[in-house]
Amino acid sequence: MDVQEAVAESTPAASVEDNGDARRGGQRKFTMGPNDSLEGKLVYEGDVHVDGRAEGEFKVTGNLDVAQGATARISIEAANVSVKGQVEGSVNAHDKLTLGKNARLSGDIVVRRLQIEDGASLNGHVRMGDIEQHGSGG
Amino acid sequence: MGQLYVEGDLRVVGTVEGGLEVTGSVEIDDGGRVTGPVTAHDRLVVGRAGSLVGDVHVARLVVADGATFSGKVSMGKQVDAPPKPVELPVPVAEPAKIEDTVKAEAPVTVAEPVKTQQPFKGQPAKPQQFHAPKPPDRKGKRR
Repeated sequence: MDVQEAVAESTPAASVEDNGDARRGGQRKFTMGPNDSLEGKLVYEGDVHVDGRAEGEFKVTGNLDVAQGATARISIEAANVSVKGQVEGSVNAHDKLTLGKNARLSGDIVVRRLQIEDGASLNGHVRMGDIEQHGSGG
Repeated sequence: MGQLYVEGDLRVVGTVEGGLEVTGSVEIDDGGRVTGPVTAHDRLVVGRAGSLVGDVHVARLVVADGATFSGKVSMGKQVDAPPKPVELPVPVAEPAKIEDTVKAEAPVTVAEPVKTQQPFKGQPAKPQQFHAPKPPDRKGKRR
């Protein structure tokens, strides 16, 4: 039986176009490079790759990932968030937040699922959407 | 609700309600449930089916995908140093009194005469030979 390899996935990381805006199978992707910087409010329908330096508020319908070496002082709202760099600010992941082994995150977190790899650093309050918050007066 | 203090590592497979303080690592395994604050001086691991609700103060934190976790996390170097064992106030000894008692009971030990080792000087230094200037030849001055 022939097993079809997922060839379509092997295209080099969503060939970046001029302004860092790329399309990948209908899903847009905004990509920052290590020398880029962005300040302000970004509302984006698609995925966002944060690198370099970012400051402000990022509201993303797709996934957001912060590259290793990136410094971000942002509040994040996205479907899935993956942090490998340094983030200062709140994170609201509708689905999952992943902290890589070199990640540094300080800020409050609201997520549905959480994965933290050994070596990551986290300071803040974690709230999981699935958990009912009982009054902590017990 | 209570408080559990463990020197070493702790693995939770059952249910813990109350605070945990561990000098080593805490592992909340699948099925383990902890409700209460957790302090681990090394590492805290929450397994895939583990659950932790409480504030956490640890040096390292690992949360597996699927784990349930809620609370305030503080990670810092200050956790690295294990807590000092309860320090009892050590009464300051009064040297004079103790000395008296000791003298009364213990045999007086006379210190042996200290054999001070003389620094070896080797042979006495030879009198230095002065090469006195030879008296001038009196060759030609014979009497």
